[in-house]
Amino acid sequence: MISLLFFSCEPLATSFDDTEDAVLYQASTLRQIPQPDSSIKVMTWNIRFGIGRSPWFGDACGNNTVFTKEEVMPHLDSIVDAINMIRPDILMLQECDVASQRTAYTNDLQYIIDNTYFNYAAYVPEWKAQFIASDGLGRMDMGQVILSRWPITDSKRINLAARGDQSGLVNYFYLHSCIITGNIKIPGFEEFSVLNIHASAFATDDTKKKHYEEFKSMLDKIDAEGGYFIAGGDLNELPPGSDSTDFCFEDMCPGESFHQPGDDPQHKDGSNYTPEITWLQPLYDAYKCAVPLDRYQQNQEAYFTHTTRPGHFWDRTLDYLFTNHRWVKDSDVTHQYLLRYSDHAPVTARFLLKKEN
Amino acid sequence: MKRTFLAFALLLIFTALLQAQSQFTGRFMGYNTAYLLPEKKWESGIRQPLRVGLSQKAEIYSTVLALPLTPNAGIKIAWGELGGFRFATAHSLSVPSPVLNMLSRNGIGGFISPEFTFPFILSINNSVLASRPLCYSALLTIKAEFLFALRGGEIDPQSTIDLPIMYPRMAHYYKGTSVRLAANVRAPICHKAGVEEGVEVFMITRSGNNFFAENTGYVYWKMCKKMRLKAGYNLSYGSYPFGNHWQLWPSVDLLLGNLR
Repeated sequence: MISLLFFSCEPLATSFDDTEDAVLYQASTLRQIPQPDSSIKVMTWNIRFGIGRSPWFGDACGNNTVFTKEEVMPHLDSIVDAINMIRPDILMLQECDVASQRTAYTNDLQYIIDNTYFNYAAYVPEWKAQFIASDGLGRMDMGQVILSRWPITDSKRINLAARGDQSGLVNYFYLHSCIITGNIKIPGFEEFSVLNIHASAFATDDTKKKHYEEFKSMLDKIDAEGGYFIAGGDLNELPPGSDSTDFCFEDMCPGESFHQPGDDPQHKDGSNYTPEITWLQPLYDAYKCAVPLDRYQQNQEAYFTHTTRPGHFWDRTLDYLFTNHRWVKDSDVTHQYLLRYSDHAPVTARFLLKKEN
Repeated sequence: MKRTFLAFALLLIFTALLQAQSQFTGRFMGYNTAYLLPEKKWESGIRQPLRVGLSQKAEIYSTVLALPLTPNAGIKIAWGELGGFRFATAHSLSVPSPVLNMLSRNGIGGFISPEFTFPFILSINNSVLASRPLCYSALLTIKAEFLFALRGGEIDPQSTIDLPIMYPRMAHYYKGTSVRLAANVRAPICHKAGVEEGVEVFMITRSGNNFFAENTGYVYWKMCKKMRLKAGYNLSYGSYPFGNHWQLWPSVDLLLGNLR
């Protein structure tokens, strides 16, 4: 009875330790795994919890907070179709709902496992609350995922710095940015690490910078220990040297005003990257991005992965793949044609594996 | 282990002695029993409704703090005794539409998404209560309650507040009739304090998310002549839209009245 009482004390919102174990999933029937010769395809995709480009209140000037199963399922089917078409071997997802009221408690991850070819997945919550009494959000369980054909071991949730520009109460119920990590061993090749980050989108202080520093410090540690990794995700930051760094007007909702005398704030939260434009430089300096910086800078539009505006083309780059080993030259693809599937485009690249000695 | 058992046994004996010696104010006038408040007596809590004794036959009640946003009123009628049980029925009406529309809003306080608008809802509650004194001055009450709602239009099933305690009590606004069966025992500990332990099951006449159960326990403490503190727990289990769920929550109320 006492243990029942303890287990039933679910808090209204979940706080996280610095490091926690991930939740592991496995397909009910394991699919055959093709043996790679020297490389595998890796993909990162922020799937916007399976609502496609629907006008959600939180990021697209929409009036809707919750969506019905009938509204969510066609978008999830599109995501599944895209995954089955692109066929990555390792998939890093951000904004994956597993039990949220806003998506009618659809388990996006379970649906993706059941309807693709992946055998294993690891999930960590980024935003978990029994009830959020704001905008009708209600119950929330959204997080990050690593999907793999091969078993994922030692998968952890690494908590990132809390937003410094929020009150304690708001922060308690708000999402807690994190990294999901895991190790993957492919027969015949050395084990490698996978790190999937979803950095803060709307912080207006140096929280994002802290997230990149924490991310890089984890990569540095693996590198220093002789390991190799695939690291990526939605960094919510522009590459250094981007031509356009202020998206207040693009992201402005009806009735909002920015940049005018007397406007407070002057910039829309999460839309002005100007003071942050060099924050990813250390990552580029230390590791290899699937889309090299010089190539991006020469033809930026070709690598845009995000827009807040339903019906508009991508207008900025926020999604990345890095490694300390090697990408197959020119193997990267920014899947910009998947415009209606999410507010982010997936990015893929082929990752060279290290042969086992 | 032996020490724990000994301490527990001593506590039980001590409690029983106190129970045998005491009489607890309000035991037979408590909320959720078949007993009515005597004429001109009243009691109200912050969450518990204001009850006013009209006569030996009738008591009226209303949750006063909720009145502006949830107009509500009820009457409890005494029907006499049979087989050692005292019987009463309670009948109440409430209109939750204004509070639901207020909670459907943007920003903090938005329990429900602002995209939902609630039509007129009239919630009708009828219950039968039977109480019987037990040994050690304890009182057993059993209750059967039937709730249904008249709705002025369709209510979106996604506009629910999926929280324990709230969800089962609002279920009949959306679909089905709610049948609740409850039993509680209350007993004095000393002249200033009493305890109450109860169980309640909620069954909703619909195909899913239709069963809930609660176990509640309270200690009453008479702080002064007109004020009692009620504190305890609510342990709930139920089938919610997100799955089956256990929850333990504390429960506190302050009761005011002129029972003595």
